[in-house]
Amino acid sequence: MLKLTRRDVREISTGILFLLPNILGFLAFTTIPLAISLFMAFTDWNLEMHNMFQNQELRSVGFANFKKLFTDPDFPTFLGNTLFLMLGIPFGIAGSLFAALLLNNDFRCSRMKRVYGIVVLTVVLIVACGMLILAGAGSTAMTLLICGIVGTILVLGSVGGQTVYRTLFYFPSFTAGVATYILWKKLYSPENGPINNVLQPILDHITPVAASMSPATAHVISSAFLIVMGLLYAYAVSRVIVSWKNGETGTLSYVIALVVLSIPMLCSHLWCSLPWGGALGLSLVTLAVLFTLLMFLTRREYKCVYDYGMSNAIVLDGIVMVGLFICLGLSNVFLALPEMAGGTDGLTAPKWLSDYYWAKPSLMIMGFWAAIGSNNMLLYLAGLSGVSQELYEAADIDGASPLQRFWNVTWPQLSNVTFFILIMSIMGGLQGGFETARTMTKGGPAGATTTLAYYIYSEGFESGRLGYASAVAWTLFVMVFCVTLFNWKFGNKYTND
Amino acid sequence: MKLSLDGCKLLLIHVVLALVATAMVLPFTWMVLASLKRLQEIGLDSWIPTVFQWENYRDVFTMRGVQFGRWYWNSILVASWVTFLQVFTSSLAAFSFSRLKWKGRDLVFLLYLATMMLPSLVMMIPNYQNMIYLGLVNTLQGLILPSAFSAFGTFLIRQFMMNIPSSLDEAAEIDGASKWQLYWTVILPLARPAIVTLTIFTFIGNYNSMFWPLVMIKSPELYTLPIGMLAFDSSQGQQTNLLMAAVTMSIIPMILIFLFMQKQLVKGIMLGGVKG
Repeated sequence: MLKLTRRDVREISTGILFLLPNILGFLAFTTIPLAISLFMAFTDWNLEMHNMFQNQELRSVGFANFKKLFTDPDFPTFLGNTLFLMLGIPFGIAGSLFAALLLNNDFRCSRMKRVYGIVVLTVVLIVACGMLILAGAGSTAMTLLICGIVGTILVLGSVGGQTVYRTLFYFPSFTAGVATYILWKKLYSPENGPINNVLQPILDHITPVAASMSPATAHVISSAFLIVMGLLYAYAVSRVIVSWKNGETGTLSYVIALVVLSIPMLCSHLWCSLPWGGALGLSLVTLAVLFTLLMFLTRREYKCVYDYGMSNAIVLDGIVMVGLFICLGLSNVFLALPEMAGGTDGLTAPKWLSDYYWAKPSLMIMGFWAAIGSNNMLLYLAGLSGVSQELYEAADIDGASPLQRFWNVTWPQLSNVTFFILIMSIMGGLQGGFETARTMTKGGPAGATTTLAYYIYSEGFESGRLGYASAVAWTLFVMVFCVTLFNWKFGNKYTND
Repeated sequence: MKLSLDGCKLLLIHVVLALVATAMVLPFTWMVLASLKRLQEIGLDSWIPTVFQWENYRDVFTMRGVQFGRWYWNSILVASWVTFLQVFTSSLAAFSFSRLKWKGRDLVFLLYLATMMLPSLVMMIPNYQNMIYLGLVNTLQGLILPSAFSAFGTFLIRQFMMNIPSSLDEAAEIDGASKWQLYWTVILPLARPAIVTLTIFTFIGNYNSMFWPLVMIKSPELYTLPIGMLAFDSSQGQQTNLLMAAVTMSIIPMILIFLFMQKQLVKGIMLGGVKG
């Protein structure tokens, strides 16, 4: 039995008193709703039957909601949409890191003051000359506008250094919300949006070239992309194997990386238009798996010294995975290109948000635009300032090239930041997609951009099936919780110091 | 670590940075220019309006079915109230968690932290039911109350308060200050950076929030800006020039906050992220 002295009681009551306003609100709007929500997931709560005019008895339906969810043919599609949109995460992380690396250069070294002046002057001169020439040549106002923007940013940047660029980079993610989504919806507009206004003339130029391409050439180019895909896969796998052997990554990281890399190769079996492409994919994957099994069977266990490599492996191989997908896509595109260009309309710019296949990539491009300069970039900047200078000096003494310095010093040193960002992005990605879907596509076309979050909204608040929506929400919660568990298991050792 | 560079490399980096920055700025440039065009000019290749239509900005306020001024006011009202309440309750709780010693404190804090990872989506549905019982559906109070208490804010301020030296507390105690005086006159002023950060985050987060207002608010005169813009877009979205004028105006408060508070914001993100 816990014994409390009078002093303890006094201390506790003071402590609770300060906590009271927050904790009351917390109980009312978080804890109790949570309990209700779990209970609701097992009922047939429906706004049509249980509202202020009609008060039917609430019936418990056991696991029927969950059963309905898992037999619903749409559920895998919506889960797939959510995961598909998350493929943009590795690119966002890479973009943030790239921006942070560029920003981390010292722009105001005292020795450089002179160079500075020269840079500014050159830039001003180039821009001014360029503008005059363009104006004299009767060029459009558009070119002048864009040159003017680039020039202004350059001048501002050479004067203000890091702060100016950081401000501009951070801007899209800071203002991200309904307003910018509406803006992008207009940018993507297929008939008169600025994106297609620029894209269509370019495509018109390509059309005759593509139409004159013989089917044999198309086959060769298409095959070339598949071979690039195979080589990329082989290289990525070999790199993963080497780092496993060296003890840089653990067995789990190795298996995750292998699975991530193999997904596009397995898809090539289904999606590739060339008959032998599927065979190539399957055989390469089989080889990699066989090799892994062989190593296990011969009991050559590679002891991992530390598991720093986890997040790095996931991010890197995530990027390679999307690269493989792009190769696969290009291979298919080139095979179909002569036929498309030979049609009556020639090549047409995509319809972006209203096209079933382009809707998700459109959202991902917008997400990438916002993600480069997001909080992640600032976290990387903080991480970079924490990397000890001695490591770089040691690398310099060993004669490392800038690229080697990055891969062997910077990237491993940043692995805890990467891990944190990755986990946060995955958790956000699983719950995300509602605002963009609601503002830009209403979950369409044909459910192509309906994520789990949007599904919960439309089931719960548009169709009124609150009980069922609760069940979906709790299923989503379980997924997020698995990521959290993963974080606790592998993250805390290194991220909390 | 910082690298020093020679001129040529410096110029190259400047150019790359400027190009990326241009890509960030271009959509906003189009937005502002389109908001100044006449409707017929919207689809043209040239971004620049032939005559600058400044009256577009006035017309947004007088459009039928678009109560833009009203929505603006609602948004700022709701966001300000939420920010005020959240900062106040969070700082009180953070004070209790960091500067007061009482049995069971760390256990309670751990429970607090655990709720931070719950997806807000799970809470939305029962909270809606909650609001029906309280009769707050379709009121601004219904938007303010559930957002006024946050575990994240408590966590952020606590992390900062932990680093304030404890000798200050002792000195205040010797001077005979009560706990409230200690909080109000000593700790709160010192925790200003964390408070400012939380203020910005909360204000922006709430100003942009869309899910909850969408669920709660039915009458157009109570709309906040995000759902107002949504209604504008779906009812009269063809008037791209006016829509862009509205979008531009709705971004302006964020731009102002961002420009004036940038330094604190950057510090705060590092505070929250590195420790979290």
